[in-house]
Amino acid sequence: MVLKIHGFPISICTKRVALICREKNIPYELVTVNMLEGAHKGEAHTKVQHFGQVPFIEDDGFVLYESRAISRYLTKKYASQGTQGLIPTEPKAEALFEQAASIELTNFDPIGNGIADENIFKGLRGEQPDTKRVSQLVALLEEKVKGYEAILSKQPYLAGDHITLADLFHLPFGYMFSQMGIDALEKQPSVARWWKEISERESWLAVKDGVA
Amino acid sequence: MVLEIHGHAVALLVRLVAEVCKEKEIPYEVVSVAVYKGEHKSPAFKEFQPFGQVPYINDDGFILYESRAICRYLVKKYEGQGTPGLVPTDPKSEALFEQAASVEYSNFYPFALGIAAEKIIKKHRGLEAGEARVKELLTNLNAKLDAYEVILGKQAYLAGESVTLADLFHLPYAAIVIEEVGFDVLANRPNVARWWQAISSRPAWQAVKASA
Repeated sequence: MVLKIHGFPISICTKRVALICREKNIPYELVTVNMLEGAHKGEAHTKVQHFGQVPFIEDDGFVLYESRAISRYLTKKYASQGTQGLIPTEPKAEALFEQAASIELTNFDPIGNGIADENIFKGLRGEQPDTKRVSQLVALLEEKVKGYEAILSKQPYLAGDHITLADLFHLPFGYMFSQMGIDALEKQPSVARWWKEISERESWLAVKDGVA
Repeated sequence: MVLEIHGHAVALLVRLVAEVCKEKEIPYEVVSVAVYKGEHKSPAFKEFQPFGQVPYINDDGFILYESRAICRYLVKKYEGQGTPGLVPTDPKSEALFEQAASVEYSNFYPFALGIAAEKIIKKHRGLEAGEARVKELLTNLNAKLDAYEVILGKQAYLAGESVTLADLFHLPYAAIVIEEVGFDVLANRPNVARWWQAISSRPAWQAVKASA
């Protein structure tokens, strides 16, 4: 049975899962959950994903949600194919991967969520964006990018010498920032190098503007 | 060399790392960082933690930061002692653990952190809590806990029948919301209440809840 991704083509988190499938050469089928019609909040969806969020996967009857959990599961299941080393296994390398994955979660994702809420989701709810809050979030992002610069000036990727899920997890919100004219990732030289490189990966180019 | 946890002994995420050390019977020493004087923002500190945050650990010369990454590293390193199964290894159990760990991060932490920032941190700085913001955060948190109520009605803990790091990661900030600020989020949620009672009464948490 082909892996099913229940998601929405332009959803940040659906793109994240599709990206990892491409990195690992995993075929998938997108089952569209029409968020514009509120399908993610309907009973058929929430009986599986109790938070009313996308995506979730069905892998031969095994259901899983949370895009980073899905990404980790698929990376480990298909360890031997596609891009190697996305989750290191040597103890210290694994710890440094977990550190980098947590950096993405705590220092980057909340800013992405905040800006997405202001600039995209508020409009869909008929509310006005708080432009002051967006400015504050952009300023915070630029501050965080200095931390990223300190790391990436010493090593090519966030966890060390090899690309891992931690780098890839940044792509959906990072691309959203560039589409909104937020250029924080281009302001520091090592971060700009890293950002350009990961943005040009085939797997990302295939899904960045929508998952099919 | 005894494991060093660099941070303030009452800092929430320092206490999280300490709790996991207690679970895994790992001796540790808290090396105090004068956060009230801004030591964590100094260039010397940022050599170890480039975002200027606490905690970080020094494990015989191996430096690691991000509390959740630290907890995962310690659990794996000391697999053979203390509470078992905090990070499952069977592929599907591990995937369900990652799902639960991601739920903590994306569906609980932002709201609990926000409440703590408004009600506790601002108070420490002599500022007024933003009550409109607190109300918004609490509304969101309550909605998320409704989903927790469904999950915990089917199984004892967030990842399944046994406690994992995903449950323990909730301890410091849930204690703030429920006990210190006193929001009654357990009312009408018997499954969440049962789960909270189970994890908050663990001896490892009792040992560090006031101070690491």
